Amino acid sequence: MKKYQLGEFEEVVMLTVGVLYKDAYGVSIKKEIESRLKRNVSVGALQTALGRLENKGYLKSYEGEATEERAGRPKKYFQITAYGKKALEYTKETREELWNAIPKMALNVKVVASY
Amino acid sequence: MHPPKLPLHFFRWFCHPKLRDSIEGDLMELYNERINEMGKRKADLKFIGDVLLLFRPGIIKPTEGYKNLNDYGMFKSYFKIGWRNLIKNKGYAFINIGGLALGMMATMLILLYIQDERSYDSFHSNSPVIYRIVTDWVNPDGSVRQHDGTTGHFQGPKFMEKIPEIVRAVRLQENMMTFKINNEVSDLTVFKVDSDFFEMFSFPMLAGNPKTALKQPGSIVITEEKARLYFNTTEAIGKTLDIKVDSTFHPYQVTGVVRNIPSNSSIKFDFVVPNIVSKDEYASDENWFNFFQNTFIELHPSSDPRVVEEKMKKVYEADASVAIRMMKEKYNVTEKTNYLLQPISDLHLSKLYTASNGLKDASDPMYSYILSGIALFILLIACINFVNLSIANSLQRAKEIGVRKVVGGSKINLTIQFLSESFVICFLAFALAIIFLPICLPIFNSLAVKSLSFANLINAKLMLYYFILFAATGLLAGLYPAFILSGFNPVKTLYGRFRFSGKSFLQRSLVVVQFSLAAFLIMATITIYSQFDFLTTYDLGYDDKDLVMVSKYPITKNQLKVFKEALEANPNILGVAPVNGGEWRTVAKVNSEQEIKFQYNIVDHAYLPLVKIPVVVGRSFSPEFTGDDSNSVLVNEAFVKEAGWKDPIGQTVNFWYRNQKYNVVGVVKNHHFNSLSQGIAPQLFLQKPDQIFGKVFIKLSGKNNQETLTYIEKTFKAQFPDFTYSYKFKDDENKQQYQLEARWNKIVLVSSALTVLISCIGLLGLAALAGERRAKEIGIRKVLGASIINITKLLSINFLLMVFLSFAFAIPAAYFASDRWLSTYAYRVNFSYWTIALTLLITVGISLITVCSQAIRTALANPVKSLRTE
Repeated sequence: MKKYQLGEFEEVVMLTVGVLYKDAYGVSIKKEIESRLKRNVSVGALQTALGRLENKGYLKSYEGEATEERAGRPKKYFQITAYGKKALEYTKETREELWNAIPKMALNVKVVASY
Repeated sequence: MHPPKLPLHFFRWFCHPKLRDSIEGDLMELYNERINEMGKRKADLKFIGDVLLLFRPGIIKPTEGYKNLNDYGMFKSYFKIGWRNLIKNKGYAFINIGGLALGMMATMLILLYIQDERSYDSFHSNSPVIYRIVTDWVNPDGSVRQHDGTTGHFQGPKFMEKIPEIVRAVRLQENMMTFKINNEVSDLTVFKVDSDFFEMFSFPMLAGNPKTALKQPGSIVITEEKARLYFNTTEAIGKTLDIKVDSTFHPYQVTGVVRNIPSNSSIKFDFVVPNIVSKDEYASDENWFNFFQNTFIELHPSSDPRVVEEKMKKVYEADASVAIRMMKEKYNVTEKTNYLLQPISDLHLSKLYTASNGLKDASDPMYSYILSGIALFILLIACINFVNLSIANSLQRAKEIGVRKVVGGSKINLTIQFLSESFVICFLAFALAIIFLPICLPIFNSLAVKSLSFANLINAKLMLYYFILFAATGLLAGLYPAFILSGFNPVKTLYGRFRFSGKSFLQRSLVVVQFSLAAFLIMATITIYSQFDFLTTYDLGYDDKDLVMVSKYPITKNQLKVFKEALEANPNILGVAPVNGGEWRTVAKVNSEQEIKFQYNIVDHAYLPLVKIPVVVGRSFSPEFTGDDSNSVLVNEAFVKEAGWKDPIGQTVNFWYRNQKYNVVGVVKNHHFNSLSQGIAPQLFLQKPDQIFGKVFIKLSGKNNQETLTYIEKTFKAQFPDFTYSYKFKDDENKQQYQLEARWNKIVLVSSALTVLISCIGLLGLAALAGERRAKEIGIRKVLGASIINITKLLSINFLLMVFLSFAFAIPAAYFASDRWLSTYAYRVNFSYWTIALTLLITVGISLITVCSQAIRTALANPVKSLRTE
């Protein structure tokens, strides 16, 4: 059984939320991912991921201030929950375990991809 | 700066309200930034892109919204529970769905049949304004003596001339004409019609002009099928067919090729030629009294047929006054002729004015009624199975019903739930029926003598009927169980002491209804079968075995002599005797003034011995008596009885209208020259010195019949090369008279087998459920020492009593119906005790096997199993 379900994009979003700490809301998360990972993120994809993570209980949100450039709409800030932190740690641990389990040889051999 | 409005509104409409504000804020922020970076146009495009990419499941507001505006979720649950119940009780599901599917399919086939029957002749684009002229022969006292669909040469053209409402009149006469095609001579049916034929009726032409095709004498219009057969193409315009006129063959020129005639047409033809009526015929007023063909008229769309009928009456009385007076003086005709109009769409199913004299497929609406009755029987029996099994099976559902009620389900909710379950089952049955329908269509076609195809099924009206059938079956089957089940008391069901008593009066009466219907149909089958058997094996009073009839008109005495000598050279031909062609009837006077109607045959002295009709009084015709061929007749016993003669020999039969008197020289034994549905009517045999015959009877020895038939054909063709040779065995012809009985025999047999089958699977289900319900009781009985026979008896006796009881209803009904049907036959079997006995044996036997198989299974079960679990 999977203990924590976390997809690749979800993991990226969560880590970014962590990076931004107190300043994680829609546009800032989008920009951060775009600048760090050099990939385009649509508002739709991001919002769905955020919604899903919030439903799973990995993130929590609170409403922030409304500014003029947002036409008076409030910002929705996200924060990693304790449960979310566990999930991130679990993901990291499992990856590391897998890394450690790889025999040295496997990564040194230079082979032409064969299929 | 504002983003484009439409995408924004769209976003606000679809977005989940919880997310709307914050996401809109993000969008606006991004939009404003982008305007600064790359200008309004690009920012607008990106905005639209973002909105479109936001249109995805996580963000769109759920359809349910915050409060449920409909009961979608509840219905989903109903169907889910219904489906699970089906899966759980596969056996009952099979019985229910299978039975309902059979019933629905039967009903669908009958609906298809009725639809086809009613669609006859409605494909003509003028069909609402086409009428056939029909007649009522009215006695002086005002009663109608005869309804008749035929007319003569006059009615069409004369009425059209005087009545402005009549746009067209077309006479239709069926004729046999002799064709010579590739040196092969054959007699084919040809329609002689007026030249407006193709304008009045919608028979689309593949080649040729419908307006002019029949204008020239010597033209012929043929069907697509015949064009391909004779010319290998539908482009046959200008080609010729040789047809015999008088005694030589004339080429007829093809002026049109029509598409094959639809199967639901009363007018079915292969060849059409123009009808040419000579001036002489048209001049003779007596032709008002010559009825032999069909006349159709087309009215102006705005005219009232009643008014036209009134006008026809006036025209007739004015124009035919001389003829009417003459008929009265000459033949003492006192009846009045009333001309009426029959809409062409009524033609096919009309009982008073039947489609005859060239019009095909005349049908009786009674067949539709009987078939619908049978289909309803089958459907009803299947619905009864459903009702009985649902109620008997309700114990399993009792707890569920109790819980639903406790958590707030109302009676109406539960009724709807059970109804929706019955609709699930009906829908599956419906789907099954639709799948099997095309497979069963050929079988149905052969039973009902129809040529329905899958194409007939694709019809909006029919689909609507099928949908109504589905809805009605769902309601019929589901309403009662839904009502009963939803009425359970939740306290009782949950307390665990609930027992739905299996002694439901309704359940038992329904089983009785089922078996009454089944027994009724079995008795009907046996009655029809025994009557059919009786008709086909009845001693007709003459010998029709190995008797061949060869038609040839005209055949003179000299031709006959040559033909007969040639035939009798073959040792396998025992005799040859000529008769007149067709059935001749006339009226003559006996005892000086008494008029007597009879059928008569012109024969020679060889006829009576050949067909073995014995002479009981006097003598037969003989060549030794020279006067025989001009003044002697033989009569049958019925004739003697009708005339009231004590001593028939030497009596006179006076054919007064042609001044001929004959002496009776002998009396022949009665024999059945007509179908057995009629009694033996007076009959007379006479000879004429220079008679031209139309038919030859040839008696074969019965050895090497095939070889002898070839010999006859060779002899015929050598002597009459320009005539069609065809033969028929007399006993085959006699059997053909009872085709209708044979057909109904099959239909009723199949339907009674179906009803018995469905009733029995229902009974099987009930018996199985009863066994289940009483499992503990039977366990205890066994422990206390009951034998298997005891228990089997205990379980089956109730059901058998119901089957017996059903006979109390079925026997009177079957007796009444059989008696009605049998009374249409002059010679018939009686509704006998052994019909009842045999039905009893079949029904009780089958239900005994059904019930006992279940009862024994229950009785054999190990009591430990049923008693161990509590």
